[in-house]
Amino acid sequence: MKPLRLAALAASLAVLAGCSGGRASEPDGLQLSADARADYYLFAMRCSKCHSLARPLSSGIDDDEYWKRYVAKMRRQPGSGISAEDTVAILRFLHIYAQDQRRRKGKSLDAPSPPPPDLDASPPTGAP
Amino acid sequence: MTASRALLFALLLVVGLALANGRSAGASEEDRNFAGSAQLDYHLVAGGAGAPAAPAPSTTFEGFTLEAALKVAADLSDHLSANVKVCYGCHGFELDMAYFDLRAFDELNLRVGRFSPSFGAFNLRHDPANHMTSDKPLPYDMGRMLRKGDWNEGVLPSPFPMNGAEINGTHWIGGVAQFDYAAYVATGFKNDVDANPTDLDFQESHLPYYVTSDPRPASGARLALTLKAGSDADMTLGASGMWGTYDPANKLTYAIVGGDFALRIERTAIRMEYLVRRQQMDVSNPDIFRYAIAPVDGDFFAKHGAYVEVEQPVTDAFDVLGRVDGLFRVGNVSNVSVGSGGDTIVASPLHERAALLRETLALAYAFERNFRLKGSVELWEFNYADSTGRDTELSFHLGAVGSF
Repeated sequence: MKPLRLAALAASLAVLAGCSGGRASEPDGLQLSADARADYYLFAMRCSKCHSLARPLSSGIDDDEYWKRYVAKMRRQPGSGISAEDTVAILRFLHIYAQDQRRRKGKSLDAPSPPPPDLDASPPTGAP
Repeated sequence: MTASRALLFALLLVVGLALANGRSAGASEEDRNFAGSAQLDYHLVAGGAGAPAAPAPSTTFEGFTLEAALKVAADLSDHLSANVKVCYGCHGFELDMAYFDLRAFDELNLRVGRFSPSFGAFNLRHDPANHMTSDKPLPYDMGRMLRKGDWNEGVLPSPFPMNGAEINGTHWIGGVAQFDYAAYVATGFKNDVDANPTDLDFQESHLPYYVTSDPRPASGARLALTLKAGSDADMTLGASGMWGTYDPANKLTYAIVGGDFALRIERTAIRMEYLVRRQQMDVSNPDIFRYAIAPVDGDFFAKHGAYVEVEQPVTDAFDVLGRVDGLFRVGNVSNVSVGSGGDTIVASPLHERAALLRETLALAYAFERNFRLKGSVELWEFNYADSTGRDTELSFHLGAVGSF
């Protein structure tokens, strides 16, 4: 491929990019309160350290219990920077996000969905 | 205590603690999670792919390359999980992960199977969906660098899956400091093809079947400390080391050590790593070397590699990355290319203090959350000319990566 053609391809993609509304990490269409926004910010800070936020946000997981186990697993990753206190805020955001996911899928917000994380209790330990 | 006895002791300890905990098998339902990625990259070298007379294998991949991976993670109980990841790339299919984690508690986990042992910081992000450039920092490069045949890749091409066992764990101190450790024994790297091995044969180390004629395992360890300053900043300092032999007679050693530092302030990330590999060579046939064998310390070379990069999100979808990285090799030079079987002598263009510096400016744009366009321009500066007299090159990457 000649450099000129490559440049033309790059320019076309740039135009396409300019026309699209790329949203890489925001939870689409989800209205968040100021507190929830702070939880989302912490989620974004911690989880984007090792991988893109597409991983959790597009995972399709809408089960609070699953998230609880999964965040505990991520917390144990070396250098994650996710402390036990952080998991509370991260799970709070993921609970809201999971609720929205269930709503979008037409699932009931009550049964059979699992209970929300026990946010008042101690955060998950290493051995859930 | 030998490494294998220490591991056996650790294995028994983990099993015992897991059983004593009384919440092992069947305590929770089994969960499976699938993930995958695919990256297509076009690499254009402005001055051409390099000197045709350089040693085989070929000097540079120019054109399209594809990397794809599929991973499944399963939580089998509260204490047992499994990960399997299959990749497709320049070597064909490769089993990147196939291991079980048996965890007693946060501070004690036993990993057995096939995996990349804990070394450095970059390898955690080696999947192309998890970094903003199409290629990897030079110390971890696996095939995308210019003149790769001259250098035989970077210091520790990533990923580097091996068969083995690792003890690892993490411990939090007061919610502000996270301490990680890992220690492992694994098959290590090998070269049982060349008559007089002078370097690791990375390609051979990845070929199935995953057996080695070198019966002595490699061993290594990693320590890291992460410090947090509120919700907006954290810093990680790490040190890693690996040691092993790579020839069938277990006489030729390699030792790799590295240090890494990462700082995050809000969404800005600054990362730096330094690695060096001390590589022993078989000098029993002086005819294959470019220089006379020095009577003292003439049987090894050292390959240094380092990178510094700054990653800055500009908008929610647009990221910029600037990176400076390089390699520096000190020592005698073999004129037999690695993996050739030892019967092809081609003059290597490297000299005893060969250096390479690269500057990269990269842009990444997410069309959608799971689909990202990557572009980068790279300026390469070598301290030696190739057979066409060139010592500076310009190359471009344009790629796209999707993940799920």
